[in-house]
Amino acid sequence: MTKVLDIRNVETFYGAIMALRGVSLEVTEGEIVTILGANGAGKTTLMKTISGLMDPEKGMIEFNGENIVGKQPDEIVRRGLAHVPEGREVFPYLTIEENLKMGAYARKGADIRDDIDLVYDYFPILKERRSQSAGFLSGGQQQMLAIGRGLMAKPKLMLLDEPSLGLSPLLTQEIFAIIKRLNAEQKVTMLLVEQNANVALHTAHTGYVLEMGRIVMAGSCEELRASDDIQEFYLGRQEETQRGQKRWKRRKTWR
Amino acid sequence: MNTDMIIPADAPITMDGCDTVVKLWAKRCHELGDKTAHREKELGVWQAYSWNDYYNGARNAALALSAMGLEKGQPVQILSEDRREWLYVDLGVAAMGAIPSGVYTTDSAGQLAYLVNDSGAPFLFVENDEQLDKFLEVRDEMPGLKKVIVFDRDGLATFSDPMVMFWDELMEMGEAEAKANPTKFTEALNAVKPNDPRMLIYTSGTTGPPKGALITHRNIMYQMFAGEQTIEFEQTDELLCFLPLCHVLERLISVEFPILAGCKVNFAESPETVFDNLREVSPHSFTGVPRIWEKVYSRITIMRSEAGWIGKTFLDWAIAAGMKKVEAMEEGKHLSFAGRLNLFLADLLVLRNLRQLVGLQRTRRCTTGAAPISPDLLRWFEAIGVHLLEGFGMTETSGVATVNTLGHNRIGTVGPAMPGTQVRISPEGEIQVGGPAVFGGYWNKPEKTAETMTEDGWLRTGDIGRIDNEGNLTITGRLKDIIITAGGKNITPAEIESKLKFSPYISDAVVIGDKRKYLTCLIMIDQENVERFAQERQIPYADFASLTRAKEVVDLIGKVVSDTNKEFAQVEQIKDFRLIDILLTAEDEELTPTMKLKRNYVNERHAGLIESMY
Repeated sequence: MTKVLDIRNVETFYGAIMALRGVSLEVTEGEIVTILGANGAGKTTLMKTISGLMDPEKGMIEFNGENIVGKQPDEIVRRGLAHVPEGREVFPYLTIEENLKMGAYARKGADIRDDIDLVYDYFPILKERRSQSAGFLSGGQQQMLAIGRGLMAKPKLMLLDEPSLGLSPLLTQEIFAIIKRLNAEQKVTMLLVEQNANVALHTAHTGYVLEMGRIVMAGSCEELRASDDIQEFYLGRQEETQRGQKRWKRRKTWR
Repeated sequence: MNTDMIIPADAPITMDGCDTVVKLWAKRCHELGDKTAHREKELGVWQAYSWNDYYNGARNAALALSAMGLEKGQPVQILSEDRREWLYVDLGVAAMGAIPSGVYTTDSAGQLAYLVNDSGAPFLFVENDEQLDKFLEVRDEMPGLKKVIVFDRDGLATFSDPMVMFWDELMEMGEAEAKANPTKFTEALNAVKPNDPRMLIYTSGTTGPPKGALITHRNIMYQMFAGEQTIEFEQTDELLCFLPLCHVLERLISVEFPILAGCKVNFAESPETVFDNLREVSPHSFTGVPRIWEKVYSRITIMRSEAGWIGKTFLDWAIAAGMKKVEAMEEGKHLSFAGRLNLFLADLLVLRNLRQLVGLQRTRRCTTGAAPISPDLLRWFEAIGVHLLEGFGMTETSGVATVNTLGHNRIGTVGPAMPGTQVRISPEGEIQVGGPAVFGGYWNKPEKTAETMTEDGWLRTGDIGRIDNEGNLTITGRLKDIIITAGGKNITPAEIESKLKFSPYISDAVVIGDKRKYLTCLIMIDQENVERFAQERQIPYADFASLTRAKEVVDLIGKVVSDTNKEFAQVEQIKDFRLIDILLTAEDEELTPTMKLKRNYVNERHAGLIESMY
């Protein structure tokens, strides 16, 4: 298996604040890797650092065997890394089809039409509303559009930043089912940041837990699901106590 | 100091005219009244509590417990982090002639049940909802328990249980009792005899279940008597209380000596904030376990590695200037004029700031005990102007048996016996202690008490060591820990281990080799410092386990091991080592509450790792 992405000891700052305190992780071809973490853990910063929107102070990011630290975001997109940002960020005044074409902006070639059809296959609702402005779509549909737009770049690696943000549980299930299918059928490698740990751990193959800008745990999703700390802090399991309520938290040991 | 002094077994020991701790305490409370006794942080702000608060809190707790049926000679268990209520209960219970005893907050519910049942305590104090849940989990296993009192109500607003009451309710009850029987508390307090138990201390026990050691008022009065001559306390002193009060050392330092001296005790917020609290309080004397000193040292070492070359050069120069003084001190010589001038400048420019940085600028004296410490570390602290003195003692010697003093510090030894204590070495090499520091026996275990005492009434410490011709004791290891290799060589692992621990990257180590062909070692790395090492050198790692597997980290530790090997004889060479790949916490069985690795548990739990080295 080849490594699509290899991140080593990345440190990223917002001014004086160190948001990533030495993060190392790997993504191999064909898998979905998830990063779990609470608000402010540094998940989005990590995504922005990978896609070139932020530059790390230290560390190395290898994409397909090449160091991409310091490269412009558009160049990184051309190399085959698509970023589906947090909060969807579709172009509201463009139609759906125009939005999808924007996703293929960095590409040339005649097969763009086929890819649009492929996106419509996975998200039939987008086809139905193809000529409407994207701003009129519901949140779930905008998320579908954002993912579809990402696919249009024919990426070797797709970064998904919180696809479940603001979606109903049912829609979340639906979106994740499609993410899983895209991975299985189209062999799209994905790095998935998610707050909904339950669905992420059932979708991805391997996972990392990011806390305070540092990876505290890594392993296959089965291993992570079995960990007591993950169950208590990310899956919301409540240990039964004699009093029926519990305010204090166990100490995290990450093993 | 008179080390030949003998205190007859029946001679009374009085301090300030009092022969029990509680009498002396009551006297201090009346003398000092509204002066500050304790300081504690509430919502991040230091609050002061007076000696009157101390007295009234203890009296109310005592009278309320007595009204609920507490009798003389019954133990009371306290499961809480250090806080002032801990001391109120401690003194209140002791004043009634009952026996306070502490449970470590890291103990499991099962261990709590064991301690409550073994002591037969009818009352249990718990700190908060977290600790209360431990009681609720095992309440059926503790039939002797009458009442549980909770210090902190947070998170328990809707909780009610006939067996559980809260601290404020206890205080009200005690207040009413005090109005009804104004003399009861003083009468009970004055009826306590010097040979009555002052406290029950459970020893962590690396083998078998914990045993309760009874420490009498006379034991403690002796500790005060000897302490007054060896370590000085003043009424204006500030102290920081952060080690578990269940441990005899912290009880002596933060409860008994302040009662004698009338000084102020500041409680650290939590075990994690000790270093911040240390800087805020800047205590006049400070007692820590070796782990704390190792942390201070490694913080400064790391700061040095991050400093620019100017900072590094200055620091190295200043420490070298200090080391000259240490060398002269150890050779019994005076520092040359140039050396003194150099040190004066180093102190003015660097060392003073360094001490301020860690919060030790006001300390007259620091002490370390409870575990072996590397002599190099002691020298290093002396060099930066922190007078760190090593002592030796155990629960069974009611805290301290030997100690170095400011005027007489022999680094590498644990000092001479305190005045009135006798120390001797048995033919097997075991250190034995006699005198008024020797404890009052194990709780309900006369056979264990008999095992630990010699026929002529001396305590077998289980440690091995030697005494030099100045009377200074050197500990070389534990009798039980002696490794006899397959080749028949006797090796005491403690010396090798403490050398290894001097590295900032190693937090603890266990040398293995009993009945084996050669020695090996299991090493627990220091997470913070090794992570920083990896980060600086761009060594990729994800979690703790992958950190311990990184080749560079293994090489780093390998370098420390081979450097250590150079200082030891051929048979004492460590041939192989493994890093423990899980991050251990105080709640793990392998660690004592003071974060030392327990040899037996380590041998069992990591048998696979050990076998892989042979």
